Amino acid sequence: MRLLLLLLVSLLAACGNEQGEDSDTAGLRVYHHSSDGAPTSLDPVQAATLYANLIVVNAYDTLYSYKYLERPYALKPNLAAAMPEVSGDGLTYTIKLKRGVHFIDDPAFDGGKGREVTTADVVYSILRHFDPETRPQGAWLWQGRVAGLEEWKAAGPDYDRLPDGLEIVDDYTLRIHLLQPYPQLLYTLAMGYSGVVPREAVEAYGREFGLRPVGSGPFRVVRYDTEKLIFEPNLNWRWEPVDLAAEGFDPATQGFTGIEVLDGQRPPFVDRFEISFIKESAARWNSFTKGNEIQYAGVPVELVDRVLASKDPVSLAPEYEALYQVRSDIEAGFVYSAFNMDMEFGTDPDPQQNERNRALRCAMIKGFDWERRNDSFYVNLGKVFPGVIPPVVPEYDPDASVDSVTRDVAGARQLLAANGWTPETLPTMVYGTVGSVRSRQFYEQFRAWMMEIGFPREKIVLREFATFGDLNKRWRESQLPLISAGWGLDYPDAENTLQLFYGPNKAPGSNSSNYNNPEYDALFEQAAVMLPSPERTKIYRRMNQMVIDDCVAITGLSRTRISVWHREVLMYPDTSIVGGFFFPFVALQDEKGLRLAPEPTPEVN
Amino acid sequence: MNAAAEELDPVGLSDAAPESLWTKGLYKFRRDRVGMWSFAVVLLYVGIALGVWLGFWATGWADLAGGKWEPVSGAHWFGTNIIGQDIFDRAIYSTKTSFEVGLVVAVLATALGAILGAIAGFFSGSWLDELILWLMGVLDSIPFLLFVAAIAYTLQSIPEISKYSMHIAMIVTFWITAGRLVRGEVIKLKEMEYVDAAHALGVPEYTIIFRHILPNTAHILLVQATITFVAAIKSEVILSFLGLGVKDSMSWGLMISESSQEVLAGFFNNFLAASVLLFGLVMAFNLFSDALQDALDPRTVAD
Amino acid sequence: MELFSYSLRKLATGIPLIIGVTLVSFLLMVYFGPDKTFELVGKNPTQEQIDEIRAQLGYDQPMVVRYLDYLREIVTLDFGNSESTGERINALLARTIPVSIAVALPGFILGNLLGVGLGLLAAFYRGRWPDKMIMGSAAIGMSISFLIVIIAFQIILSSSYGLNLFPVRGWSVDSFGDYVSYVTVPTLATVFVALGYNTRFYRSVIVEETTRDHVRTARAFGVPSLQLYCKLILKNCLIPIITRIMFSIPFVVISGSLLIESYFGIPGIGKVTYDAIITGDQPILKAVVALTAIMLVVVQLLTDIMYRWVDPRVSLK
Repeated sequence: MRLLLLLLVSLLAACGNEQGEDSDTAGLRVYHHSSDGAPTSLDPVQAATLYANLIVVNAYDTLYSYKYLERPYALKPNLAAAMPEVSGDGLTYTIKLKRGVHFIDDPAFDGGKGREVTTADVVYSILRHFDPETRPQGAWLWQGRVAGLEEWKAAGPDYDRLPDGLEIVDDYTLRIHLLQPYPQLLYTLAMGYSGVVPREAVEAYGREFGLRPVGSGPFRVVRYDTEKLIFEPNLNWRWEPVDLAAEGFDPATQGFTGIEVLDGQRPPFVDRFEISFIKESAARWNSFTKGNEIQYAGVPVELVDRVLASKDPVSLAPEYEALYQVRSDIEAGFVYSAFNMDMEFGTDPDPQQNERNRALRCAMIKGFDWERRNDSFYVNLGKVFPGVIPPVVPEYDPDASVDSVTRDVAGARQLLAANGWTPETLPTMVYGTVGSVRSRQFYEQFRAWMMEIGFPREKIVLREFATFGDLNKRWRESQLPLISAGWGLDYPDAENTLQLFYGPNKAPGSNSSNYNNPEYDALFEQAAVMLPSPERTKIYRRMNQMVIDDCVAITGLSRTRISVWHREVLMYPDTSIVGGFFFPFVALQDEKGLRLAPEPTPEVN
Repeated sequence: MNAAAEELDPVGLSDAAPESLWTKGLYKFRRDRVGMWSFAVVLLYVGIALGVWLGFWATGWADLAGGKWEPVSGAHWFGTNIIGQDIFDRAIYSTKTSFEVGLVVAVLATALGAILGAIAGFFSGSWLDELILWLMGVLDSIPFLLFVAAIAYTLQSIPEISKYSMHIAMIVTFWITAGRLVRGEVIKLKEMEYVDAAHALGVPEYTIIFRHILPNTAHILLVQATITFVAAIKSEVILSFLGLGVKDSMSWGLMISESSQEVLAGFFNNFLAASVLLFGLVMAFNLFSDALQDALDPRTVAD
Repeated sequence: MELFSYSLRKLATGIPLIIGVTLVSFLLMVYFGPDKTFELVGKNPTQEQIDEIRAQLGYDQPMVVRYLDYLREIVTLDFGNSESTGERINALLARTIPVSIAVALPGFILGNLLGVGLGLLAAFYRGRWPDKMIMGSAAIGMSISFLIVIIAFQIILSSSYGLNLFPVRGWSVDSFGDYVSYVTVPTLATVFVALGYNTRFYRSVIVEETTRDHVRTARAFGVPSLQLYCKLILKNCLIPIITRIMFSIPFVVISGSLLIESYFGIPGIGKVTYDAIITGDQPILKAVVALTAIMLVVVQLLTDIMYRWVDPRVSLK
């Protein structure tokens, strides 16, 4: 009965609360963003997903960030005062911090005032990845690279004791000591994982810290649940005037956005930044076209042909053209299906059997129809490429042979026949996936293709897992023959995709294919310590060719996102892991031009 | 005994049960026009399902027979779906899936309910009865979808069974209604003279329950089985939509879930094909079940 | 006093049920249940990190310890934190249950009121055309899958192919107007589906009552039909009606309408539960199951008390 009463009371309270939330937003500049998924936690150590990363890099400061507009992606200092000083051997990085950066005000601090961010906070935030209590997910970025982290962890996490590799020179100077050169280090310092958190807040909120971000980033979270997140600008943040040239503005490709008017203006240009999490693409589109709801969305696959007038270059049909802006961008990542090389059709000690197995895998690759996959699910806008170096990274080779991604049913059948594979001897392929409509369709399409090269229907078996965790468990425990996955780049360097086939990363690591080729591994280790250079690119491409020649994976395709936004919004959106830094630049315009703040905000202190 | 009567009396229970109930029921059922029509529709679906099962039609449900979202045509009666599969074939093939789910769940759930309900009823008041009642209460109290999901997980680690996790979950929940009905009926029946007589003759208890009492609840079981059949088909749709249902096959639920995004983009073929066929079968079975219930209700038979 | 001791006894007899429910669901959902570890391991884990997370989640504890933990959580009504977001379970319930009630209540009330009304009408004209029409419609209503109803209503009422009157999904309620616009389509769908079943049920209850001797006698003595229905019959039907309504409550309140909420993107307890299923968030599942069982026991007690209030001849035995 008490429970019932309690419920009734809270019901009434909930109704009461929800009234009038809008009344004080009249006249404010509100931007309504949307995202096709919700983050589960806003704690930087758990910022593993695109969705979480997007919010985390805007609520927290990272030492570095990517320039708003420059492509290929380029870093710039964020919380750091400048690009680092790197020692000649590439082992020591000295990073200066900006002075006078404060965390947002929060009851967790003494007196409720946000204190200044110092080197100790940066170090603390990285160390949290080595403390099991926090359930971190980003340790692999620094493990075995930054000196002393393993020892620090093994001795039991104690934040008052520092590892050798993270040296606090003074309150504004951090020195990082590496075990071996790590050219990707700076990229990791632009990821949400390295967002700088205050120890007071982590300790005050404990497990609920992931719900109540306390950062020093451009925005602070005023509401967060599974449906919506509301940001307000952190007025104490360094809102430097927009310098489009420094951000890498390219009038030819980006001029259509109308963001030139922002040059020299001082953000923030919005008073409120609302993000609705809408998973269903059709619902998202519907909300977008209503006019007064969300102002940013993706175009659902089902509607692309109706909404777009042309695909390359992308443009909108006349009835949408007047209202919306459109942009297509290739994802920083790709989709692929890897064979589990530990299974009976993988690497075999017997050379003859090994060759037969390779033929089987190559035949399946030949049977796979990337063109059709692209047509069915990516409206022919995806970019099919050979191997595992996706188009978005600088090492991509646009002239590589596309044989490995071209369908050849006759060739596949021939290959199978020549190597003695018959419907009876072909192995059963279990296609493991998370239960969803789309992944079922992927499976059915795959099965039909494999039937066309000679697989009996009952030998391509679906195994659906209700949670991603359950599927991931089978991958990490090397139980599934096929790993159909998408990989989102953590940084714009092909090292991030090539490590997917690096022997020592095999299950439970990220190398779910369990590909184990000593030659490949040696090249990987050689390239890992090299700075970007033509020689390194050459090595990368050789490794890529090995993956193709050994028929390790059916790969790959980088999807193209079509994003649309209302014309009154001035921005160049990019929601990938390496994007996400456009939030502070978002502006709104009306008939009179750029909408500036309604009046000087008195709260600024 | 003609074919229709055999359908009503599949195991020849009428020899053991009071003759009049079944013959009068049959007489009444045959005069029920709605009942007969719905029965004919059900038979039509049975025919379709049998044809699929024997490989007469809908064999190409998994092939990529055409392009993406082809409209209705002579080659593809209901058009094609996103990957070019023939929607008509898939909708027809799903009939078989529905009957598989419906029959397996209806037969096994009713049988389980009959056995446990009869035991509980015969030993009513004893610890065995308490135990079975407790089990019913417990299973009734767990939210259905949660329970199915949980069973699906538990069985996931056993790939051979995981296909049937939905069936098992439904059986485990659906037997309860049958169990309660049979328990109530058996409590009444066990006071009858012929049971006393059997006791006196030294007939073993379990023989009395299963040979002498349980056959007299056959009319309840038959009606309950048809109700369970409908419930199973309808649940399949929802469970498949939630990703907890049919695994390695095709079903109306899967088609509807496939269509849930498409309909907002104006592509209705998947949705219409699956929902019209589903509606037809459920409606016919519901009416059939009602007619059966009317025909076999002892009170109305007595009229 | 009698009522109080009765209540205590009744609640005590509910304990085996709660233990049974929790044990079954513990075994299925927790012990053999989804493994959250691999949601949390990150992209490139080592075995050591995997083991650490298992330990963090308590998966390395023996079964008995974990079950006893669960029982302790039930007794203290403190289910800890969500494994996904870290939110306190109690805060999460307090946030989502009111939403679920707000979504489900109009449909629940309307569905039952209309069901009783139509049931009465059908029973009143038993065998004549209004009865046949109502029961025919009920049969059709019962034969349409809930899922189809939801999708069809969404197309007709909310999409640009139909009337485009209501939001497709979501729950951004800032005023009563918002509430009405978000709740209408879910309510219509619920009512549509429930009405067939409710009407059939209430009609059969009422018909059963009209064939009783005292009603026949009253009718023979010329008591006007309407008065007969309102006074005699409806009053005697109250017990089955109350039972039906009361026993639906725990599922409406605690389990929410999983399908409605996940389809319409409403952040109620049903959607949270569904999300917990697909992410393996055990503390939420444990809380939902335990609360449903507790509510059922409480509802059983309340129902018994209401029986007596409706019909004083029923004794609290």
